Parts: sequence; structure tokens; C-alpha cells
Amino acid sequence: MTPDSLPKQDDEQAVPRPEITDPADERAPVDPALFEQVAAEPPFTRAVTATPLHLETAGESHTNRWVTWNGYTVPEVLSDLTDEYRALRGSAVLMDVSPLVKYRIAGRDALAYLERLAAQPVAPLAAGHAQHVIFCEGGGFVLGDGMLFRLADDEYRLVTEETHLAWLADSAEGFRVRVEDVSATLGVLSLQGPLSCFMLTEIGVDEAAALEPGAARWVSIGGMPVYLSRTGATGDLGYELWCDAEDAPHVWRAVMSTGQPFGLRPAGFALRELARLEAGHPRAGHDYLSAFAAIEPRDMLPPAAIWPDFSIAASKGLFNGGAALRAAAHIAPSRRVVRLAVEGLEPVRFAAVSLGGKVAGIATSTGFSPALGANIALAILDTGALAPAGLAVLAERRDGLSIVETRLPARILAEPAFSHPRRMMVPAPSRA
Amino acid sequence: MERHDAIVIGAGLNGLVAAAYLARAGLDVLVLDRASAPGGIAMPYEIAPGFLLPRYALGSGGLPPRIAADLDLGRHGLRFIRADGGVTCFADGHYVANYRDGVVHRRELARHSRRDADAWTRYRRDMLRAARGLAPLLARPATGPARGLFAGLRARLSLADRLAELAPSGMADMLRLWTLPAAEFLDQYFESPHVKAHLCAAALMGGTLGPFSPMSASRLVWPWLSEAGGAMGGAPDTLMPQGGTAALVAALMTAIRAEGSAIRLEAEVTDILVKDRKVRGVELANGEAIAADVVISGLDVKRSFLSLFRWKDLPAGLVERVGRVRMRGVAAKVNMALDALPEFPGLPEGCPSIGGGLRLAGTIPAMERAFADWRDRIPPRDPLIDVLIPSIADPSLAPPGKHLLSAFVQFVPEELHDGPWTDESRDALRDLVTARLASVSPGIETRILACEVLLPGDIENEIGLTGGDLAYGETTLDQLFANRPFPGAGGAATPLRNFYLCSPSAHPGPFVMGGPGANAAAEVLSTRKGRG
Repeated sequence: MTPDSLPKQDDEQAVPRPEITDPADERAPVDPALFEQVAAEPPFTRAVTATPLHLETAGESHTNRWVTWNGYTVPEVLSDLTDEYRALRGSAVLMDVSPLVKYRIAGRDALAYLERLAAQPVAPLAAGHAQHVIFCEGGGFVLGDGMLFRLADDEYRLVTEETHLAWLADSAEGFRVRVEDVSATLGVLSLQGPLSCFMLTEIGVDEAAALEPGAARWVSIGGMPVYLSRTGATGDLGYELWCDAEDAPHVWRAVMSTGQPFGLRPAGFALRELARLEAGHPRAGHDYLSAFAAIEPRDMLPPAAIWPDFSIAASKGLFNGGAALRAAAHIAPSRRVVRLAVEGLEPVRFAAVSLGGKVAGIATSTGFSPALGANIALAILDTGALAPAGLAVLAERRDGLSIVETRLPARILAEPAFSHPRRMMVPAPSRA
Repeated sequence: MERHDAIVIGAGLNGLVAAAYLARAGLDVLVLDRASAPGGIAMPYEIAPGFLLPRYALGSGGLPPRIAADLDLGRHGLRFIRADGGVTCFADGHYVANYRDGVVHRRELARHSRRDADAWTRYRRDMLRAARGLAPLLARPATGPARGLFAGLRARLSLADRLAELAPSGMADMLRLWTLPAAEFLDQYFESPHVKAHLCAAALMGGTLGPFSPMSASRLVWPWLSEAGGAMGGAPDTLMPQGGTAALVAALMTAIRAEGSAIRLEAEVTDILVKDRKVRGVELANGEAIAADVVISGLDVKRSFLSLFRWKDLPAGLVERVGRVRMRGVAAKVNMALDALPEFPGLPEGCPSIGGGLRLAGTIPAMERAFADWRDRIPPRDPLIDVLIPSIADPSLAPPGKHLLSAFVQFVPEELHDGPWTDESRDALRDLVTARLASVSPGIETRILACEVLLPGDIENEIGLTGGDLAYGETTLDQLFANRPFPGAGGAATPLRNFYLCSPSAHPGPFVMGGPGANAAAEVLSTRKGRG
């Protein structure tokens, strides 16, 4: 090809053309400017990326301990993990979970698109309800999981731990649907604990008690519109409050001031992790890897390896990864995510899980569960090691300037370490 | 007659690495180089008093940590600096930077496309998978000529094992990477033309392929081969020796001398002595003959065989096979001394990635045109320019407050379509480079204290590198692995007994710095051991 024979318009690729989007045309590409965070400063200068609730949580922090979650700086512990835990199980806690990734999926084909994307049937999901969804790549390996909210007939919100925009956009090919990352526009508060419904009622949200698990509706808190859903991964009664990023601090203050007399405490990321671990929910990117992030092919897992009760519903039609999953339905996955309980009464650190002296897996999340009075973990084990007895972990404890290594017996938990029947009660208990 | 266990011809990086390995193993090694300073293409050189930079190489990248550790170079004073891996500046004012931190790097990509920021996860996975598959192939000879029936059999079986492990999708990924053009491979991941051009430009540097040439996608993997590549989720960073390549060369020289071996400069080898089809030693330009058990050549494959041997000493057909090896110059080197740090108003202040290099690029179609210019032997009009200002990461290389600029101009033909390079065309190239630099750094032209342009032909004339090809032979699949430098080689051993190649003409080529040298030493030692 000589320089002259190259078509001139090739160069136009480089010129950013303004995307013209017609709101009526659902196939039109998303206008990127709409939800773009205006990043005036270059990425490397930004050490702290704040959530809409940053000032509120910073004001509550007595420890100045922070962690990075999804690129956002969030408090790890605000006062004391034990106190925060006591509030979670005895009263209620309020947490900032805004770093969750939120996608708005809307359009005439939204349902058809989501049926194709998710491994579970989503057609039965009614507007104003949420369900857990898993989505896989073409080979039947899990990319991620999340909560899918049906906001209206043709409008959904998908909430995930990690970003999936490239996959969501790739899968949208041929569907009249828009996929937008709306993470930055929403503040999310998580109100969890036995008194959470009571506190909402105190604020004046009388609808809270009638909400079924997984249901959601618009309410007003302190005059601000809040989308209230009965969700949260703590194994107990709990709600999540979805509101405009600008409103989030006001909602936070309204909930805090009402709840404080009844024992409501703000809590950080460490408590969220502990509660999730007790409730037995694996976290994407931590307890399992997205197939797109798994460098080692054996780290790619099918859904049944992570969620043992997963099976393809008889009513489920075509979906991404479905053919591969159906073809491999009779083959047991070679590794599984399991819940472990480790003997011993004090908190210990461990990673390797062994069976008969041979390493059979790795504990990905560990923590001391006050509910069970034992160390618990989520671990990935080789299927051959799913023995009823003989599992052990090698715990490391620092004693002065030496390391004490102890081999502690471990067992697989059939039930989550914490799961309260209150979680499923309708109407939710709203008395203190 | 003077006698040594091993003679290494050429004190380039690979020659020094090979010599250092052999010296550590207890051999008496003699390194010979015709130049008055060691270093070969990385020869440290003062462009102006106090400004020290490698004359022919860009000077980015350091030895793999494995080699530095094997040779204990830390004890000989070598330190490394880690730098974020570079920025691409576009003519339209956009830029894409590399950050080793995954969160920061994703934010950088999100400035161009949020979807691309997310697609990075899959791109990174595929690059690291490919790099992990390649790493064992590059760390040892690629199933070379079987010395002994079982060695060859074992090597072939292990290769078969590796291929059998590949699931159909793994095979498809491998084919995709080794056959697709870079531009089309990147289309499968990214949408932003800037992100694609940024990754593509890095892959094209130093190669003889354009963005739409089949197989150019495979070049995308090389930055990921460094052992820490992408460990933090971002782009691979670069590891540079503190004090530049000069320090690297000095550390290797100290390591060699500490083991009692010698380096002799201004000693040009003119002939290799062959008796009974075995190499016995070398003869110098001054007529002196030195005997050695093995001779290891750090020269390119053509220079090694075609100019050091009498052709009648070579096995039948070797001259033709070596003659067919493709070596073509693609890049000119520009060295500059600057009296102040150039400003880059288009880049954010304090951008850490500038230390890892700056690339001036156009869009992918513009790169294809630059490639076509090179093929048609037209003086470059819009070349890719790779700039390194080594004195940012390492101020010791220039006088206080002053800076060095080392640049590669990619797609510069050895010879023009209408004859050799003239003084005017050479000046035109210098002005073009200065103008392109000034477009991202206004005022840089007033800061140049010294400037020098080395065309491929100059590189060939000065150090004898055929074609001025800094890759020591094109890096297409037909000249890589078991085919490097020619089919059936795949290692340092050659068809001549006692004669080895340690230049990047041999496997693993220019991608692993010091790799060919380490390979050559390993082969020499294993052969010696085999003979008892």
C-alpha cells in the first residue's frame, strides 16, 4: 500500500467525534459524557478517591484506618471492630457501600438481554424486586455475580463488585438496550441489623416492614427520595438505601441521628467483610477470580464450583456460557469454594488448607466469627479434598519475636456461620 | 601460543554476560573487542563532556533479575531503578500513560474509554498467559540440535506435553497471537484509537513489521516477559540500571575481572582458526594467534560466519543459509545533550511515567504509512519516535540540571530509493525529529547543546552490525526459537564444533537482555561437562 492509496478517512478515527444520541433510539451508543466523572487531575495524583459519603465517614472515624475498595478510599474500622460487630448483631449499623459498581440497563430488549447475560432465569423478576445473578463468559466460567434490581418494566440496575462494562457492552450487540455505568451518580448506604426496620419506621418510613426480602420501593427520608431495598449480605435483616450522590450525606445524617439513641453505629469495610464471611457469600476478585482476570486457566471456575446450589433452571433458554455449562453438567468441578470452620478460640491467621499433610486448597477470606466462636474462612479446595474429616490449616501466630505454627483441624460448614430467620420474616420485625 | 579456556569476541552486553557466567564457573576467559570501550551497541559514550549515554541502544531496560542475581552483580555495584513504563504523546494533543498500579492505570484508560479500562483486565490476562507460556521457552535453548539421542528426545517430548496441555481455546489464543496483525488483535479488546495506538506503537518499535503486518501482534507480549511484569495489575514497568548501561557494563567487567579473566580492548579478531572442522582459536589483526577450547562470538550471525571464517572451512550450505538470514535496519538513533529539562505542557506535571520513556506516535493508519515509507525506502515523513530522557530517573548521567535525550526513530531505511543518504536528507531527518519533539515540548530546539543522528548505515560502519539492525536479525516466527538464527539452530551451538553464538542473533534474540549470553554460557558448560 502506498501512502496515496490509503483512504483519507482513516485519519478520522483519531478525531473524537461528538456522539449524537437520540434519547428515543435505544440502539444508539451511550453518550459517554452523560455519566463521565470529570477528571480534572491526572490519575496518578489522586491518592484518595472519595465516595459521596466520605466526609460523613471521615467525621465518624476514631481510628483513621482506611482501605481501598474498588479504587475508592473507605474506612476500614471506624471505632472498634468488636463494638461495630456487637451493634450489627444487637442493634444496627450503617455502612457506606457506594464503591459497589452500578450499571443501568434499560431499553426495549433489556429483559431479553439480561436473560442472555445471566445464568439464572430473570423473567420472573417483577418490577420493584431484586435477585442474585451470575454471569459467565462463553466457556461457562464465571465472570462475576451481582444483584439485579428491576426498577421498571424496561429498566434494570445491576450491582456488582467489579467492573464489567466491556463484557456487558460486548453482550449487548444485537439487543436494543443501553448499558451505562452509573456508579458515580449513586450513593449507597447499607443499614443492617435486627433493629434496622425499627429505625426506618422511626424515621417515618412505614413501608419498610412490609417489604419482602429482595423487594424494593421508593420512599422518602428527610424529604429526599430514596430507593429502599431489603437486601444486604449479612445473614440478618437489613436494607440498602440508594439515593442521589448529592443527597447521600443528608440521608446518612437523617438515619444516624434517628438511630443513634437506639444503638445505631457507623461501621467500616472490615465489618462488612466479616458479616459477609459469616453469611458465607464469596466476593468476586477475592474469593474467586473473574475468568477475565484469572491468569492460570485452573483459576477459572464454573458457577457450581462457587455456588453449590446453582443449577441451570429447566425454563432457562439460551444464555452466555450456557452451551458449555450444559455440556459439562455431569462433570463435577475440580475445585470448589467452601465454608470452613477452624478449631480454636482465638483469632489466627492462615492461608493453606491441607488434607493428610498435602496442600489441598487456600483460604481466601478468613476471620474470627463471634457468632460461631471460631475462626471461619471461605476457601477454595480441590474436589478430592472435600472429605468429612482430616482437613487442617497451618496457623501462624507471632509470639514476641518468634513464630508459633500450629496445625488446627478444620471442618466444612454446611450452613453459614450466621443466618437468622428474621432475615426472611414478613412483615419484618419493627419493634425495638 | 597464548591459550585460554574460552574466547569471547565482542564486549557487548551478551558477550560480557557469557564471559561472566563462564568465569564464575572457573574457566579462564578472554574477551576481545576491537573498540576502545566495551559495551557494543550499549557502549557508554559522552556526547558532550559529562553527558553519558549509550551510543546505539536506547538505554531502557535492564538485565533480567535472574541474570543479575546469578552473576552477583549487586556485589559489583549494580543497582536498579524501577520506572513506570512510558507515555505516548499524540499529534492531536492526547496522551496515554502507563502506570504499574492497576487502579491508576485503569483510571488512565478510562480517560479515553471506560469500556477500555475494563477491557484491560482481559488484555492483561491474555498477555500474562502468553508471557508465562513463553518464559520457559526463552530461558533455555529452543530444542536445538540434539547432542545425544536422549537429550533431543526429552526436549521434544516436553514440547509435545506443553502443546497437549493447551485446550482448544488455548491453541486458538496462541494462533491468534502469532498470526494476527497488532492492529486487529487490539481491535478485539479496545475501542479507543488512542489506547490502541499506544499499545501498538510500543509493539512496533525495533521490529520490521507494520501495524497491519501479520504476526505483529506477537510483539505485544514482549514487555510482559519481565519477571515482575504487571504484578500490580497495571502496565509492565521498566527496570533500568542506575548509572545507565555504563554502570551495567562496568559491573559486568568487574565481575569478570574478579574471577581472574581478562578483557582486551582494541584487539580486533580477523580470523577464526579451524583445524579438522574444529575451531581452535582466533587470529588478531596484528597477526597474533590465541588458542582456545571454545570461541564464542558476540557478533551478529552474518558477521560471525561470513567475515571471520574462510568460507571453505564452513560446512556445506552454511554460507547460503546464513546469507538468507534477514537483517535490515529499521531505526536511526538520535542522541542529544540538553541544557535544561524539556517541558511537556501537554502532560500533567510530575507524571511519573515520563521517566520510563516518551513515545511520539500518530494513529495506527499513520503508523502503517510510516511502515510503507520504510518499505518503499522513502525518507521518513511521520516516523514513530521513542524518546528516553534517562537523566530524569537517574540524574547522575548528566551534569547537574542538564539532561540527556536518547531517541529511536522507527522506520528509517538503510538506503533511500534514490541512492544512499545524503547530508541534506540526514539534516532533514534531524530537523524532522527536532520538529516532532518541539511539537510536544515547545522550546526544546533552543536547549540542544549537542545532537547527533546515527543512521542504520552509520551503526553498521561503526560497530559492524549488519544492516544496522539492532535486533540482530528480524524477529518474525521464521527467525525465532528453533529457527533462530536459521532453522535447526535454536541455541548458541553452531554447526561448527567449539564455536558458539552469544549475540541476539541466537535464541532468545533481543527480547531478553543478556539471555543469549546466558544461554551460550550454559551450552558451553553443559558440553564441557558432557565431555568430562
